[in-house]
Amino acid sequence: MKNILASLLLAAISMAAVVPEATAPGKGVGVATAPLKIDVFSDFQCPSCKASYEETLRPLKSDYVAKGKVYLVHHDFPLQMHAYARQAAAYANAAARVNKYEEVSKELFRQQSVWSANGQIDAVLTGVLKPDELKKVRSLLNDPKILADIEQDLALGNKNNVRQTPTMIVSYKGRSYPVAGKVDYGILSKFLDDLLSK
Amino acid sequence: MRRLRLALRLVLAAVFIYAAYTKLRQPWLLFALSIDSYQLLPQWAVLTVARTLPWLELLVGLLLVSGFGLRYVALVTSAQLVIFLAVMLRAYAKGLGIDCGCFGAGEALTYKTLIRDGLLTAGAIVLTVSAFQSQRSSS
Repeated sequence: MKNILASLLLAAISMAAVVPEATAPGKGVGVATAPLKIDVFSDFQCPSCKASYEETLRPLKSDYVAKGKVYLVHHDFPLQMHAYARQAAAYANAAARVNKYEEVSKELFRQQSVWSANGQIDAVLTGVLKPDELKKVRSLLNDPKILADIEQDLALGNKNNVRQTPTMIVSYKGRSYPVAGKVDYGILSKFLDDLLSK
Repeated sequence: MRRLRLALRLVLAAVFIYAAYTKLRQPWLLFALSIDSYQLLPQWAVLTVARTLPWLELLVGLLLVSGFGLRYVALVTSAQLVIFLAVMLRAYAKGLGIDCGCFGAGEALTYKTLIRDGLLTAGAIVLTVSAFQSQRSSS
């Protein structure tokens, strides 16, 4: 009974979840003043995050973000169970400083099975970063500001009751709706259209 | 036994009515996304379940409160909870990091959810068996 009451309370609290705040520069895609905002909390080493990135977020970017309907913000939420997730997040955040967050994210997900097996993240990024950019990214990996950006995302996720990855928090007209797990783009699209029609 | 039946009826009714309420007060497509994250049903089935399940939960909850047709209502309640538990166990075993979707969006599917649903299922089965036994002994 105690468990039931706790769960009911949790569900009630989550519906009134705090709308996430801004994050590190370079991690937002689209127009910041778009009517809908989607905060995505993900882990580069999580297979569902890869599927979500490639099958749900990709069409979302072309159909909603590019048309100014959605402002998409990435947040890193590396899980402790994934040995190289935090390091991958550090690479992506460092890449944000050379305006290559999107490119590096895409490549990290594309080659997830490669670097997840051996931790050689650097090697898979040579295709998307120029030598000088890669050098800059390497030099930033242990920068306290980069590590602070990741901690900020983690804190934001915890504040918003994020417990698993991927989790999207869709915000519209002051209300926020959590969507956990990899979801079908068709249904997500219907949901967004429904919100935008209100 | 009668008191136990009454207690189980009321607890299950409260849970079902609250579950229906939390789903009906949020956009139905948000519940559809929760169902879809289980990666079990095609899109048309996800949308159908999302549209109908909250109303079915409400109906079951109200019938449990009324006590009308208790044997059959308890049977439907047990069947629903067994299905929910099986689906959640499958998702948990597969390591899907998803929401339970039990009481609206935002509640992670954890072992605690499974324990809670297991207890509710056990309660519903006890109610069903008891309702059928009571009918047999009175006839």
